[in-house]
Amino acid sequence: MTTTLVNTPGIPTEGALAGLKVLDLMWVVAGPTATRAMADFGATVVRVESANRIETARGIGPYHNNGQGPDHSGLFGNMNINKLGLSLNLGTAEGRDVLLDLIKWCDVLTESFSPRAMRAWGMDYESLRQIKPELIMLSTCLFGQEGPLSRVAGFGTMGAAIGGYIALAGNPGGSPIGPYSAYTDYLSPRFALPTILAALDHRDRTGEGIYIDQAQAESSLHFMSTALLDYTINGRVPQLVGNADPVMAPHGCYAASGDDDWVAIAVRDDGDWANLCAAMGMGELTCDDRFANLSARKANENELNGIIAGWTAEHGAIEIEYMLQAFGVPAHAVSNSSAAARDPQFQHRGHFLEMEHPEHGTTTFEAAKGQMTETPPTYRSVAPSIGRDNDLVLRDILGYDDEKIAELAIADALT
Amino acid sequence: MLLTPYRVLDLTDQRGMLAGQILADLGADVIAIEPPDGSPARSLGPFAGDDPGPDRSLFWWAYARNKRGITCNLDHPEGKALVHQLAAGADFILESSDPGVMAARGLGYDDLSAGHDTLIYTSISAFGQTGPKAGYQATDLILMAAGGPLILSGGAGEAPVRVSVPQAWSHASGEAAIAAMIALRARSATGRGQYVDISAQQSVAAATMSANLAASIGAAETARVAGGMAVGPFTGKLIWEAADGYISLTFLFGAGIGPFSRRLFEWMYDEGECTIEDRDLDWIGLGAEFITGARPLTEWDRLMEVVGAFLKKRTRAELFDEAQSRSLLIVPVTTVDEVANSEQFEARDFWREHEMPGWPEPVRFPGPFVKLSDNEIEYRRRAPTLGEHNAEIYAELGLDEDALSDLRIRGVI
Repeated sequence: MTTTLVNTPGIPTEGALAGLKVLDLMWVVAGPTATRAMADFGATVVRVESANRIETARGIGPYHNNGQGPDHSGLFGNMNINKLGLSLNLGTAEGRDVLLDLIKWCDVLTESFSPRAMRAWGMDYESLRQIKPELIMLSTCLFGQEGPLSRVAGFGTMGAAIGGYIALAGNPGGSPIGPYSAYTDYLSPRFALPTILAALDHRDRTGEGIYIDQAQAESSLHFMSTALLDYTINGRVPQLVGNADPVMAPHGCYAASGDDDWVAIAVRDDGDWANLCAAMGMGELTCDDRFANLSARKANENELNGIIAGWTAEHGAIEIEYMLQAFGVPAHAVSNSSAAARDPQFQHRGHFLEMEHPEHGTTTFEAAKGQMTETPPTYRSVAPSIGRDNDLVLRDILGYDDEKIAELAIADALT
Repeated sequence: MLLTPYRVLDLTDQRGMLAGQILADLGADVIAIEPPDGSPARSLGPFAGDDPGPDRSLFWWAYARNKRGITCNLDHPEGKALVHQLAAGADFILESSDPGVMAARGLGYDDLSAGHDTLIYTSISAFGQTGPKAGYQATDLILMAAGGPLILSGGAGEAPVRVSVPQAWSHASGEAAIAAMIALRARSATGRGQYVDISAQQSVAAATMSANLAASIGAAETARVAGGMAVGPFTGKLIWEAADGYISLTFLFGAGIGPFSRRLFEWMYDEGECTIEDRDLDWIGLGAEFITGARPLTEWDRLMEVVGAFLKKRTRAELFDEAQSRSLLIVPVTTVDEVANSEQFEARDFWREHEMPGWPEPVRFPGPFVKLSDNEIEYRRRAPTLGEHNAEIYAELGLDEDALSDLRIRGVI
């Protein structure tokens, strides 16, 4: 990390999405991931929060210096770089009036309340399109706006469970383990965001707005389409198989010499196998009938894994990665956050970026995913503390005067 | 449909096919270009009826929907010329070859954007186009290891474990679709396209829930906990045993989760399975009591046992039903067959069917990834058979049936 970026909250003027106005009423991870990508590429994203109901992500780690407080969450920080923060008490009529002014201002409204909430405020799409036909609105929640489960409030951890992902990871004979935390939260932005951007392009050509109803559980099934088809066509239900793969062996995570030090190795074919044997200095194994081809290696997989684990235990994971990749064998250390921060490829890509932070001195966040030659992302400000940008939003964006702002404060609308 | 005016040349294999799929579902005219002997994705299992064949790969069926398919030999000079001609009429190119391969063929961004500067050219690769690991060999497992999610999933002290349905390339493909659409928006302002470079390693990092920042911001590494997560000194257990399988229950204290835990204990108390003292704990402030030592940490373990015993006596359906009426954070851990048979997805009319060649019954696919008020996502064509649209697409370049059969004989298409 060479440069510490400067924290200057403001209205962006550059980037692929410069001029795009987004009103973000979403929480936690799934929604904020999508709006962060827009903010990175130059959209003005106003994120509404309330101190009366602290956003869940502010309470989730990792925490800066293991500390506590609403601005300590590295997760919240990472999800909300580049956004403007407005605190608004939507429990007050005055707060909802401000929200309505922001809806008139924005191109895109995104929300992840339960399906009932927006309707109760008269801010469902049908009502809003009457005052703003060109509005693009995304509602995103676990199960969508209707159906027997539409009222199930849920985090992505629950999406991962009921969406079938937990049952796809675990060791044979054991309990399901699942991928880490709120898995469907990572998948659903990949569908929401292209849809929003396509809707904007369509709006610019036709003047028509659109309502996007996203059930995160439904979007996420597109990352397991083959398993669903394998069941509906072949009747097969995936079992817990650890890291075993039907067409690759050896294939797994092997303990290396360090503490919680693991290396992933994947042998795709007989060529990889010969190269792995050579890299391990065990050329004689290539002549061993037990491992001569995929079906033999699958039949003797336990023995095979034992031999490889015996070798990996003698070396560090990163050392093994370099040794095997030099032989063209797919391998990589299983990186934790400290290994990731030192990873030369992440460094080459500028994946981890540092910005000055009013409370922590500096903070670290992840770069935008897409690297683009003409319109690179810009990094302008750290995630907002609650209400950080109230003045900027109310004065510069909405044009409110001192008197109006004072009235809102008296009405408890800005908490 | 939203993207009807746009054409995409999809040169990806299994490493990038979801990207074109997302654009195709949104209405773009996506042309999948395969080698004359078929995309490598066609040889990926599982296969319909467990019977391998180029038109039976379930991966191909799932991720070539709404695309038209043509064959073209990218290593043949005439094949390259055809791609140049097609690219001249395309808005987007998607490709997922190893870094440098397309440029070596004369089909890189510089080659295809010359004289066609509106082109948006997106490359998907394991580690990005350049850098010390750009030439690394990679698979799904390798990328999940390199990007950070893998170390977080598995039992404490045990080997990390992956999701058995490969995920890494889908993460990258999703990011490619996003970036391509951002570039489209830039193009409508500037009139110019650009080159987009997507790294799967960076893309899968999203699945760490920012745990990959811990060391950089002075936080402790996140401990691996089977079916749960470490929260400071506590274990937050997410996966619990029910009488007939597993459920997910988010059980913790604090402002966010505490009220849900309180309601769970109200139910347990109503059933006579916890004490009134446990029910009336300060579920919001409990964490502070543990941290200050006012209450011993063993109490947390005891509370988890009380909850565990309660859950184990009840079926997943009983727990889920009550969770909905009492507003608890409980859902069943469902298996793929249960997902496929879920009433919820049925009620939302989620699934879509296509007749697939060589398969006797209509095949049911996961439906639109979002519902739209207008310009709905349509499943307008099934995945193409090999070279199915050669005639209609090459006709646009003025090639008639005789010319095509000549190209076919000479291995160009």
